[in-house]
Amino acid sequence: MSKTYKAALAEAMQEAMDTNPNAIILGQGVTDYKGIFDTMIGFVDKYPDRIIETPLAEDSVAGICIGAALNGGYPINTHIRADFGLLIFNQLINLAAKYKYMFGGLFEVPSMYRMVIGRSWGQGAQHSQSLQSLMAHIPGLVVIMPADPKSILESYRYAVQEHKGPVVMLEHRLLYELSYEEDATELSHPLFGSKLEREGTDLTIIATSVMVLEAKRAADHLAEIGVSVEIINLHSISHPDKEMILKSVEKTGKMLIADTSWAAYGVAAEMNRIVNEYNPSILKAPTHSMGMVNTPCPTAKVLEDMYYPDVHDIVDVCAGMVIGKNHAMALPKKESMTDFYKHFKGPF
Amino acid sequence: MENTETYRALFYQAMRIRLVEEKIIDLYPSDLIQSPVHLSIGQEAVAVGVCSNLSIDDWLFINYRGHGFYLAKGGPLPEFFAELMGKQKGQSKGKAGSMHMASPKQGVMGASAVVGSTISHAIGAALISKIKGEDKIFVTNFGDGALEQGVLHESLNFASLKQVPVLFLCEDNNLAVHSPKSERQAFSLESLVGSYDIPYFEIEEGYDFLEVKNRSQAAIKIVREQRTPVFLKINTARYKEHVGPGEDFFADYRKESEIDAWKLLDPLITDVELYNEFLGEINAEIEEAVQFGLDSPLPTIEDLLSDV
Repeated sequence: MSKTYKAALAEAMQEAMDTNPNAIILGQGVTDYKGIFDTMIGFVDKYPDRIIETPLAEDSVAGICIGAALNGGYPINTHIRADFGLLIFNQLINLAAKYKYMFGGLFEVPSMYRMVIGRSWGQGAQHSQSLQSLMAHIPGLVVIMPADPKSILESYRYAVQEHKGPVVMLEHRLLYELSYEEDATELSHPLFGSKLEREGTDLTIIATSVMVLEAKRAADHLAEIGVSVEIINLHSISHPDKEMILKSVEKTGKMLIADTSWAAYGVAAEMNRIVNEYNPSILKAPTHSMGMVNTPCPTAKVLEDMYYPDVHDIVDVCAGMVIGKNHAMALPKKESMTDFYKHFKGPF
Repeated sequence: MENTETYRALFYQAMRIRLVEEKIIDLYPSDLIQSPVHLSIGQEAVAVGVCSNLSIDDWLFINYRGHGFYLAKGGPLPEFFAELMGKQKGQSKGKAGSMHMASPKQGVMGASAVVGSTISHAIGAALISKIKGEDKIFVTNFGDGALEQGVLHESLNFASLKQVPVLFLCEDNNLAVHSPKSERQAFSLESLVGSYDIPYFEIEEGYDFLEVKNRSQAAIKIVREQRTPVFLKINTARYKEHVGPGEDFFADYRKESEIDAWKLLDPLITDVELYNEFLGEINAEIEEAVQFGLDSPLPTIEDLLSDV
């Protein structure tokens, strides 16, 4: 049975409200008719006291989440753009991430921060950022980038019902409308793990969020030209499955990191650290880091399409790494990812 | 002041806090306490007077100048000294230190060293309290430096919108580190609070724990009975430097004569008779608590890596 990414989000929110009588969802737009991109439609009628529309005051709302968690609540704080999440960094980093440790275990702050990466259609520099690395850098935070409905349901359920600390869920707007067929692949852990999406022998692609889908499209194309790709869906940015990564790279000897953010000081750098500190000799070729061009995001569509790497770039790089730079293989046509995933017509 | 049982009890609590902090000053040169201390000497009557109207179930959110409130709310003294000394038997295993005093059993729900950052916690805790149908109240304590933080304004707005049982308690010592309010604030606090339709109370005599007790009672009564937010500002005086065990009048950012004027009104200084009556008992308790800290083992690598 197929399910959309956003339907899984709605289901996860519904389950959180039903399983925990002290769960609250708060943020800007949680009661409006768009319902956080259809993931909370009708919730306020069903739980009038626990769905809380907030003023545009992210700093205080994040602190309210901490206070709620200290008193046995489970707050879910929504941000329709991850960029707005920057306004909660004092509470998230200075307080939520540290409260358990700083007080020697006296306090726990079970809480969820849903931040939507707004990349879709002309979102520009402040409505499109992928900020996983900033947050995954901080001890005490769990940062997840779910790439499919099953991962959403498993990781959100675990966060609400089992985990006793703050979790940041980076959802990707490009994926919301996509319908997924159920498959057999499993996360090695809902919050502290990754997923082996596809087995292969020539090269390992470690991908995050929407780049998992691009990597799969690339792998299909590469298979046609005889290149066998293994894909790891990183899922947990803060706590990836290192064993899975090392085992795969040890097997293929080649690693491409396809992340949704900038390469420097980010997920790509961390994957290289993990491999190199384990044993650099498992690499048979230099690694490749693929991320956004090292500039802020432009708004003009023609620039935006150059800014983000896609299936075309992945196939080109993989063929180069496996066959050689002058591989002369046919590449998939360069096509706007927003056209492919969303048939986007705006406004957002 | 009258020599009633209430006066004696409050005097005892305030004097205990002062002697504890004077003990910190004594110990400081020995390097037994290796972290910054923000002393509340001069401000004890605020903590003692307000906390005398709170029950152990009421929740209190404090800041880095939090020794007084921690003790006034009932936080244990032996664990306090162990915490200051970075020992394993400190209430937070030595990982918090002076700036992060907490004791959830007594409702001391955390202290932050980032100005104003626990104000909104009280509102969140109160929101859940409403859902759970509890009857306790939530007090958030901050200094006049926090009044300029955007989060105070955000929090007043939210508390008023959602009508939560929160007491906003401002200890006004007129200083943010070394800068006076006159250099920092272009607004009237009373008008600001009033614009959010939150009742505003002010107590000038922050040296007088009886006055603080009696007048804060009225503010707390509204929070407790009407389950709505109230703002209470209490004027006080920080006798010591912003951080550290000493005085800094030489720096000339404030006048020593202003502090001297407060000291003339301070019962802990003027009521020598009662001071002498309590001295032996309080000092004995402090010595025992210091010894508890000294005897406590040091934290280990397991403590370093736990509770992340």
